[in-house]
Amino acid sequence: MGGLQKKKYERGSATNYITRNKARKKLSLSLPDFRRLCILKGIYPHEPKHKKKVNKGSTAARTFYLLKDIRFLLHEPIVGKFRAYKIFVRKLKRAYGKTEWSAVERLKENKPTYKLDHIIKERYPSFIDALRDIDDALCMSFLFSTFARTGKCHVQTIQLCRRLTVEWMNFVIASRGLRKVFISIKGIYYQAEAMGQLITWLVPYQFSHDHPTDVDYRVMATFTEMYTTLLGFVNFRLYHSLNLLYPPKLDSKSETELKEEDEEDYAMNSESYLEKLSALSASLARVVSSAEEEEAELDQFPTEGEDMEKMETMEKEQKLIEAQKKLFQGLKFFLNREVPRESLAFVIRCFGGEVSWDKSVCIGSMYEATDETITHQIVDRPSIDKQYINRYYIQPQWVYDCVNAKILLPVEDYFLGVTLPPHLSPFVEEKEGDYVPPEKLKIMALQRGEKPAQEQEDEEADEDEDDEEEEEEEEEEDDDNDNEEEEDEEEEAEEKNLKKMEKQKSQGKSLQVKVTPGKMKVEDKTRLDQEEKAEEKRLAIMMMKKKEKYLYDKIMFGKKRKVREANKLAAKRKAHDDAEKSKKKKTRK
Amino acid sequence: MSCNKFFSILIIDSFISLSSNMASARRLKRVVASQPGFLNLKSTSNSADSASGRRKRLNKNKKKSWNKHSDINDVEDFLQDVRHQERTTGGLLSEKSDDSLFFLDVGQPKKPEQKGKASRPLRIDLILQHDSLVPPPKDVLAYQQPNAKKLRRSAQRAEQLAAKGVVPRRRKQLLNRRPVDRTAKKAETEANNNPGREYYDIWGQECDAADPWYLQQTRKSLVKRPERLNEKPSVLPAVEVIAPGGSYNPDFFSHQALLQEAHEVEVKKQKDENKIERQLAVNREDTATEETILQEQVEGLVEEEENEEETAAPKGEEEDVAVGAITLAAKKTERQRKRERAIKIKEQQRLANKQQTDHRQQLFQLRSIKASIKQQDQKTKTRQRQRKDNQEAQKAQPRRLGKLKFQPQDMEVQLSDELAGSLRRLKPEGSVLKDRFKSLQKRNLIEPRERAKFKRRHKLKYVEKRAFREIT
Repeated sequence: MGGLQKKKYERGSATNYITRNKARKKLSLSLPDFRRLCILKGIYPHEPKHKKKVNKGSTAARTFYLLKDIRFLLHEPIVGKFRAYKIFVRKLKRAYGKTEWSAVERLKENKPTYKLDHIIKERYPSFIDALRDIDDALCMSFLFSTFARTGKCHVQTIQLCRRLTVEWMNFVIASRGLRKVFISIKGIYYQAEAMGQLITWLVPYQFSHDHPTDVDYRVMATFTEMYTTLLGFVNFRLYHSLNLLYPPKLDSKSETELKEEDEEDYAMNSESYLEKLSALSASLARVVSSAEEEEAELDQFPTEGEDMEKMETMEKEQKLIEAQKKLFQGLKFFLNREVPRESLAFVIRCFGGEVSWDKSVCIGSMYEATDETITHQIVDRPSIDKQYINRYYIQPQWVYDCVNAKILLPVEDYFLGVTLPPHLSPFVEEKEGDYVPPEKLKIMALQRGEKPAQEQEDEEADEDEDDEEEEEEEEEEDDDNDNEEEEDEEEEAEEKNLKKMEKQKSQGKSLQVKVTPGKMKVEDKTRLDQEEKAEEKRLAIMMMKKKEKYLYDKIMFGKKRKVREANKLAAKRKAHDDAEKSKKKKTRK
Repeated sequence: MSCNKFFSILIIDSFISLSSNMASARRLKRVVASQPGFLNLKSTSNSADSASGRRKRLNKNKKKSWNKHSDINDVEDFLQDVRHQERTTGGLLSEKSDDSLFFLDVGQPKKPEQKGKASRPLRIDLILQHDSLVPPPKDVLAYQQPNAKKLRRSAQRAEQLAAKGVVPRRRKQLLNRRPVDRTAKKAETEANNNPGREYYDIWGQECDAADPWYLQQTRKSLVKRPERLNEKPSVLPAVEVIAPGGSYNPDFFSHQALLQEAHEVEVKKQKDENKIERQLAVNREDTATEETILQEQVEGLVEEEENEEETAAPKGEEEDVAVGAITLAAKKTERQRKRERAIKIKEQQRLANKQQTDHRQQLFQLRSIKASIKQQDQKTKTRQRQRKDNQEAQKAQPRRLGKLKFQPQDMEVQLSDELAGSLRRLKPEGSVLKDRFKSLQKRNLIEPRERAKFKRRHKLKYVEKRAFREIT
């Protein structure tokens, strides 16, 4: 056997990976700079499959990068800028130390900076790619824009984030793209649709920061740096897709409306425009001032069979969305000072409502509380002194629940001082057979266009009716999802039918024969169809092989169990509600 | 004092005087002084000393001796007086009208009552005030222009040339110079997080028409990003929406479910903690009791002999065994070897035969073989599927990217009595910043890290200060 002995760790995975420290040295950067570069360029550490091999026999936990990635980083022009910045800092320190102020001035003037535009273009070669990754950018920008200017990060970054988020919100308003809102204990989740992409983001509550110590601010700031650049370019493109001016300008009409003498009270002159934009109360100027947008109708294509059904469902969805977009059209809201202004203004404006607030709360209020045309006033306090008769006084949750339900919910449940119904998460999609909370069932019934029976003062009646409603709804639910109906129920139904027929027969026997004028037998076509389908299914089940049948039974059993569990939960809920009610009664007495 | 002499000395004085601008003023003074009505402020000053003493003999043909020996004190005094008058009154007293010099004394005018000291100027200001009434001299030099003639000429020539249409060289150079684009440089040095920065359509524009080959060779084009880098390291979504129980006004059951989940997490944590504690706990049997301590102390003193006897017995047996093993390996005879060989060959043959028959029998076992193969296939398939499923599940898991493992964030949960009835009274739970940070870690974008601890390179030395030592 000839040949040299192969050395270990000179081929294979050992040569494909590189440790972080080595990579750092290869790029001749400090660790923070290296980390920053990796974040900006989108190069992430890897976990090798065989760590021991890669680590040359050692089992110590290390951070590994792919060698090819690091080689790619070597070509990045920003690396040079990082090095230049290091030198700049050194020189500046030196100048300070020697108290050479002119040198300090000169150095500061020539501070090396860099742009991330080329990186954005490289990482997101097309606009859609960028839009798909915008969730993170939005979250980060909204987060940073709520930071206090206390030196945890650059004030400029905060300002830029604020500007970008305001632009984004204005875009969502202009495009009427908001779909879901969820107020959680963490913050407010929004979901909007832009260019066919669903985008979710999280907005923290104002003034809720207790800067956690175990978060690396430098890393977060680097991410934000990248994401602000991305968000800016995306905003630009989105604005242009709607024919809006970028940077956003207020409509000339609304601009004159917003002109006030005491503008200086709110903000400095340089900032007042952004403030006005961020008030979200006015619409934006368009490049081509079109009077009304033409509503794009779906093109009709001749289709058959399944495609037809699909098309129909799609059309239905489209119609629903269109209806949702005009949810608050024609309504006039007034926000009391204790409600979260920005969130509510954003949501209401997204669905075409008009909104205003007290002058002292924020710039950009459109009308006063005394305006007679206001339809809804949003209040979050137990009682209010002066009430107008021609408007509803409702709690803020109504707005959010309406958005999630896609219809205007009855206002009675949300009146002043009333215990609110639970705020359900719109991000949960129940599968068939899951437990659905009764509140959701109610909303679903409303969506279908059913009017809940008039709620009466008498509580017990109320309760009963509620229960009935629920039952009905549940039944309906089943009907809706009857594509795979349970075997048992069908059988039961058939049995019932048979019994009825028998009864009728027996009754017919007992009665004397009588001739009555013939009646047109009305054939319920849909019912017949259903029966036929059910029969077919039954036969198909009969024809199943043993193995398949076993599997089928198993699936069915699972489904039934789910239903059973859901029923159990519903019963529990009812018991809970009853207990609550009785408690209430007691307290009332 | 004769008027004549005085006059002549004045002339000398005018010779000495250096500043030409003062000349006119002097002349005026001279004229004034020669007037009979001139009032001397210091009327007592007399040049009586000049007459006293012996008169010196001097030759008066040299200016030097004039300077040296002529007595000009009287003139000096006079001039001093004139300057004094000018400074204080703004002119000579003799020229002043009587009205400006005298006034009717009608007693102290009643001062308006002053309030506080605010109206009185500061003393330092008074000291610094310009109190002379003589106006500052005009600087004639400021109005003079050196080389005025030359400049005028050159200007004229330039005018002529301009009329002809000839542009001077320097001007031409200036015109030819490329304008400095200051805005471009500013844009370059503008910080990345400038809140007023401008954006443009980055995806719309196509790269300019420059030759790609040229760009590549001159390293002006960027290296193409490998496709692999566009894959996300995790399948998790960027924003994970909190469970429905995390609503500010949750449905009862979803809230209970969330609480249950949080409870389970907490129980698990507790269990792990307990486990570690249990493992670290000292076994009670291992602790020394009085008995064991005593035993230890008397170890080897009391029962030594018995132990020795016990240990001695098994030793002998072991030796016997070892000797026997060696003796067993005796030499075999030739016959024995032959027999063994035959047995071995026979055995081999038997096995070969058996194998052959087995092979032949397999023909009849085809069905069962097929079944077993099928079974094996099935097994491998299920295993493959399982492995794939595992891999899929792994994709959603955070990877081990560094020294530390990913620690999931504490669940945000509000107990039933913490829940706020309305939005106004809502108390936010957890931190969004931390949530984002953990999300980045969970999606393998950054490695989990701990804050670097401060490490002291040199040991601290404690020294008592003298002041402290004095007290103690």
